[in-house]
Amino acid sequence: MRLQTKLALFSAASKIVILLLLVLGLPTIVNKVALLNADLRLLQKEERMYQIIEEQGIASFITGETGDAYGSYNLFREEFISLEEISSGKVVNSIENSLRKVENEVVNYRVLSSTFDLGGKRYLLEIGRSLATIEHNSEQLQKYALIFLAAVVLLTVFTDLAFSKILLRPLTLIVKRLQRVEHPSAFTPKQLNTTTSDFLYLNNTINAMMGQIQEAFQKEKEFIGNVSHELLTPVSILQTRLENMLADPATPESQLEKLVDNLRTLHRLKNIIQSLLLVSRIENEQYLRNEVVDIPHLAREVAEEIRDRAEVRDISLHTDLTGDFKLLKANQSLLFTMLFNVVNNAIKYNQPQGSITVKGQPTAKGYELAVCDTGVGIPEEQLSTIFSRFKRLHAPDGESHGLGLTIVKTIANFHGIELSVQSVVGQGTTFRFQFKQAA
Amino acid sequence: MHILIVEDEAGLANELSYFLSQEHYKCDWASNGREASEKIAVNLYDFILLDLGLPDYEGLDLLKETRALDHDPAVIILTARGSLEDRIHGLGLGADDYLPKPFSLLELQARMQAVLRRKFKLKSSVAAFHGFELDSSARRVSHQGREITLTKKEFDILHYLLLHKNRILTRLQLTEHIWGNVLEDDYDSNYIDVHIKNLRKKLSAYAPTDWLETVRGVGYRLTV
Repeated sequence: MRLQTKLALFSAASKIVILLLLVLGLPTIVNKVALLNADLRLLQKEERMYQIIEEQGIASFITGETGDAYGSYNLFREEFISLEEISSGKVVNSIENSLRKVENEVVNYRVLSSTFDLGGKRYLLEIGRSLATIEHNSEQLQKYALIFLAAVVLLTVFTDLAFSKILLRPLTLIVKRLQRVEHPSAFTPKQLNTTTSDFLYLNNTINAMMGQIQEAFQKEKEFIGNVSHELLTPVSILQTRLENMLADPATPESQLEKLVDNLRTLHRLKNIIQSLLLVSRIENEQYLRNEVVDIPHLAREVAEEIRDRAEVRDISLHTDLTGDFKLLKANQSLLFTMLFNVVNNAIKYNQPQGSITVKGQPTAKGYELAVCDTGVGIPEEQLSTIFSRFKRLHAPDGESHGLGLTIVKTIANFHGIELSVQSVVGQGTTFRFQFKQAA
Repeated sequence: MHILIVEDEAGLANELSYFLSQEHYKCDWASNGREASEKIAVNLYDFILLDLGLPDYEGLDLLKETRALDHDPAVIILTARGSLEDRIHGLGLGADDYLPKPFSLLELQARMQAVLRRKFKLKSSVAAFHGFELDSSARRVSHQGREITLTKKEFDILHYLLLHKNRILTRLQLTEHIWGNVLEDDYDSNYIDVHIKNLRKKLSAYAPTDWLETVRGVGYRLTV
């Protein structure tokens, strides 16, 4: 997932969590606040009542006509005030919720009760406010608070998104540049237009490192060229000299066999140098992948080229190739060498009257080519090292240098071909190539 | 046939020169680019064997110079650097062939003959020997008009032996010629023996093949 998406998701998620918490917590808080507010107002009213009683005397409420109690409530029974004379000596001073019956209707009130003494008598003052009214107020408050909060959350999510997009633009640019580069040698360093020092550092570091890789590649290329020249030139001189001696009528016949032996040894040296150079050159990306190679067709071509050798060894070579697959961006001659080496190995390490099958079929991702032989097999503990340089498993003629499978593996890697081996000692070996189209 | 060998390694130039003189070519040697450039301008060469890795001169520049000449000599590039770009450049600039070092002298000679055949449009590609005829361009072998079916490898071996008639060819030289395009782990001379055996069997149905000699412990020779 991209960083920008992650940041946006995180910002949205955290804000939704805050919103949820508020939605859950808000009613309780607002109710509490509303109740406290109501209590405050009741206390204020109590104060005013005492003031009125002090100024006008209790007689203005309790007279002979009214008896020993006074009561008043407004039209919708939202509030009431009552004052009565009580006989008990209990002192009350509280604010509580309580149910009161007003005109045959039970209403839940918030009631402030307070006793006071005046003129040797004890009175109880009660001021009530209906809870429905209090809750109504609190609901209004909640509604507006929620709308406001939601608006704030939405606004911050969008500003976060926009800002992170702008902020991360240099990073997006770096990633895009890197995606376009298939190989370090194709990289061109570019400056980044940003004030974020982290991104500048990142870009400069990538530029510098790519530069170092390119330099190393170039140096390696020169080195390979020099090694190639310095090693192959003397080999070349020796080979032509030996060939001239071989052709010289003055060379005694007894010396001819020795010359042939020398040529063989020289050939071995040449082959090792050339194999190592081939592997290095492929790894140094000196080969082009600019051909379209028809894989089943190539497999048939290799089989035909090598059929003679199989027949000489009395080994039957079958091809079982179905479907069609063309590998774009490939190198025909390298792929030929790769398959040739594997089939050649299958011949070399086969049993008399053995067989080799080159199987090919399309797969979901591309194409699979398998070279199965009925040969001597490879012990399991050696399977992991067969592609390593100079690992010789069995060299019947003692002249194999063990670079054949290294070449195979290197060419497979170069083309992004997955290569696997299965083997049962005494029964045979299968080399499997999974071709898939490079993006 | 007048040949210029452009090669900074005296050892190799000597061997090349010796071999080609034996084959009745007239050889000149230039050990550096300046010398080569002068020689090319003064003499009319038919063939130039050009080493690209010269100390004082860009080999490919020399190639351009030869291409500018009126008489258009054939050019084969010989190089031990063998980078892919060299090859593409060389052939793109009009070299007639490209042979990476180390090469067999026999292979060089075969390539030179092929180039000359192509370049000077030699008509006859048919060689006759002991009653057999080999047509190298049609890739056919016949005996008194009756065609003999050979495999690709058998034909290549016979052709190579004929090209270097009266000369001993080792199994290795034959192997390198017919399998030269693949780099293998090792080589097995047994394959050549089997091909020769089959070749003898096929040809002897028409006439004796005692001209195809086995030189014990060395190789094979086609005597004419």
